[in-house]
Amino acid sequence: MFDLPTQIDLLHVSAVILLIATFGIVVRRGFSDLLHAYRYQTIILAGVVALIAFVTGIWELYIVSALTLGIKAIIIPKVLFYVTKKLDSPIKLEMNPYVSLRISVIVSALLVTMSYFMALQLPISSDDTISVFLPVSFSLFFIGLFIIISRRKALSQIVGLLTIENGLFLFAVVVTHGFSLIIEIGLMADILVGVIISSILLFRMSQTFDSIDIKNLESLRDD
Amino acid sequence: MFDTIFTSVESALVVLLLLTPVISGLLVTVFKRKRIIETTTIISSFLILIQGLFLLTSILEKKSIIIFDGIFYLDSLSAIMIITISLVGFLSSLYSVNYMGRQYDKLIVDRKKLVRYYQGFNMFLFTMLLVPVSNNLGIMWIAIEATTLVSVLLIMLYTKQSSIEASWKYLLIATVGLSLALFGIIFFYYANSVYDNSFNSIHGMDWTNMAENAPQFDPNLVKFAFIFILVGFGTKAGLAPMHTWLPDAHSEAPSPISALLSGVLLNCAFYGLLRFHIISSRSIGSEFSNTLLIILGIISLGIAATSIYFQKDVKRMLAFSSVEHMGIISASIGFGIFLGIYGALLHVINHAVVKSLLFFSSGSISQKYQTKSIADTSGIIKTMPITGFMFLIGGLAIIGMPPFNIFMSEFLMLSSGFSSENFLASALVILFLLIIFASFGKHLLHMVFGNPKSKMEKGDLGKLSILPMVILVSVIFIMGIYVPEPLQILIEDASKIILVGGANS
Repeated sequence: MFDLPTQIDLLHVSAVILLIATFGIVVRRGFSDLLHAYRYQTIILAGVVALIAFVTGIWELYIVSALTLGIKAIIIPKVLFYVTKKLDSPIKLEMNPYVSLRISVIVSALLVTMSYFMALQLPISSDDTISVFLPVSFSLFFIGLFIIISRRKALSQIVGLLTIENGLFLFAVVVTHGFSLIIEIGLMADILVGVIISSILLFRMSQTFDSIDIKNLESLRDD
Repeated sequence: MFDTIFTSVESALVVLLLLTPVISGLLVTVFKRKRIIETTTIISSFLILIQGLFLLTSILEKKSIIIFDGIFYLDSLSAIMIITISLVGFLSSLYSVNYMGRQYDKLIVDRKKLVRYYQGFNMFLFTMLLVPVSNNLGIMWIAIEATTLVSVLLIMLYTKQSSIEASWKYLLIATVGLSLALFGIIFFYYANSVYDNSFNSIHGMDWTNMAENAPQFDPNLVKFAFIFILVGFGTKAGLAPMHTWLPDAHSEAPSPISALLSGVLLNCAFYGLLRFHIISSRSIGSEFSNTLLIILGIISLGIAATSIYFQKDVKRMLAFSSVEHMGIISASIGFGIFLGIYGALLHVINHAVVKSLLFFSSGSISQKYQTKSIADTSGIIKTMPITGFMFLIGGLAIIGMPPFNIFMSEFLMLSSGFSSENFLASALVILFLLIIFASFGKHLLHMVFGNPKSKMEKGDLGKLSILPMVILVSVIFIMGIYVPEPLQILIEDASKIILVGGANS
């Protein structure tokens, strides 16, 4: 339908949009804003997968894309929205993270640079989709990791974990072109169960500690 | 090299092995009576043990079994895992009756939680059994991730603050670690798909397929991928410095579950690591992965040594001892000669047996003393003669005293270290083992022979808590004197599987 250069442009544009959406997660403070940002990111991810399906012509990827949209963009945010609504703690935002949001953005930008550098070092032959999305998937992974270690609230950490999972997912789709439907489904089921378990933990945390601040979780140590 | 053998008996056995815990979990959900769910779980885990033994005999005979178009692949290495899981699983289900029964009587857990415990127990067994039988490495990864989720649920059973903290850390660290492992798996898959485009995608992730194509993989990619795998599965296997979740999770879980976590789950993750160690050895020679395994092993030993020395909590001490023994296994595999690998695989079984004995006995002890502090637990032999004796045997075995089983495998490991000329590593291992010997021994003597602090009622905690310990102690004695011949053949076969990569290069 399109000629080749247009396709590559499309891939590049979608990669940039995905990165912007990821930065959207980094700058959010309130819980529901954060979850919305995650949802946008996942919807864009589903779009990217559909685009890859279109470019490579592998029909399984359309199913994967639909699954992403259904499970990760609709069900998981719904579960987490429900949890945040029910939380006992009155303050529903990331008050003062270990790293301020302004510095977080700079760090994330550095992480993206690092990912592009890393992807260049890798001995992976450059097919269009791989060369465009490999660094993006690394970026998502590192930014997710950064969110986990820089935030104080358990909910933000879950969103960080989900961002990591999104990066991993993108990586899997790009490198293997949908390795097999069964494994993708298993992966999604694992994520879904993981989110449900962590929601239960969030509940417990807010009941026992009156907050979901992870500074409460520092009693087990060896000294 | 991988003959396709299709036999209906084995496929039925494998399916049964996986179905038994699922069915038992469903039965537990349906009936909810305490007595019924306990017996169901015991019967099902006993059946798993029997099925495991049958599988063992057919693996001994046929060396490897591929069934259902390559979805399941079992060889001697898987058989070692299956036998360890099913043995510890069965004994743990026996011990659970007494331990959880007591928690139930003390109103620490209610009926609903007891049902949840047994559901979790069965599902935990299921997910762990799925790891060694699956040929598709993606499915193996999903199974390992599922073990994390199920065990988090089991640790969360108590609503104490410390359990919440432990499960949160465990969930986060293990999931992040395992996502790194999946990166590694996908890299390996990519290396495989570059070499061979002809297969349909589902077989490209099969271990048999990858191991066969491994010599053609891009060496740089393999190195890169193996580091991801090592960090990822190493996190779950409790190798330092990625072990930080382990002492929390193992000390906060109910004791029967701690036994499963320490004795079996760590090995499941290490099994995943081993599978990739074989692929990487066949591809780029074993030196690269061996060196990394030795380094991580030594770090684990060192960290465990210092932590055990300063430890105040019994279960945390046992947890760090697991870090130590995973380090021993890892370094021993890394020495890369037949003797060391044989010793490591023997150590997998020995450690599982001894560590479950220790967790069972320390579980009873902490129920009796109502504390997990080492300082407050003293004179066990006077207050609980039988349990105290078992704890003493377990403690002496775990620090490597002859004539117990761990002495044998540690001896094999050290002699392989010297004969493979890893002198520095072996010297460090000896140093750390000595530190652990002294500090663990000190804590052990204080706990067993010290003077009881307050007047306590004398007596053990019931036959069902003693029985699994007696079985374990007899296994320890037998394995200390000689390794039964079928087991010997099994471990030799498995060692050859691991060594194949090294021998060709």
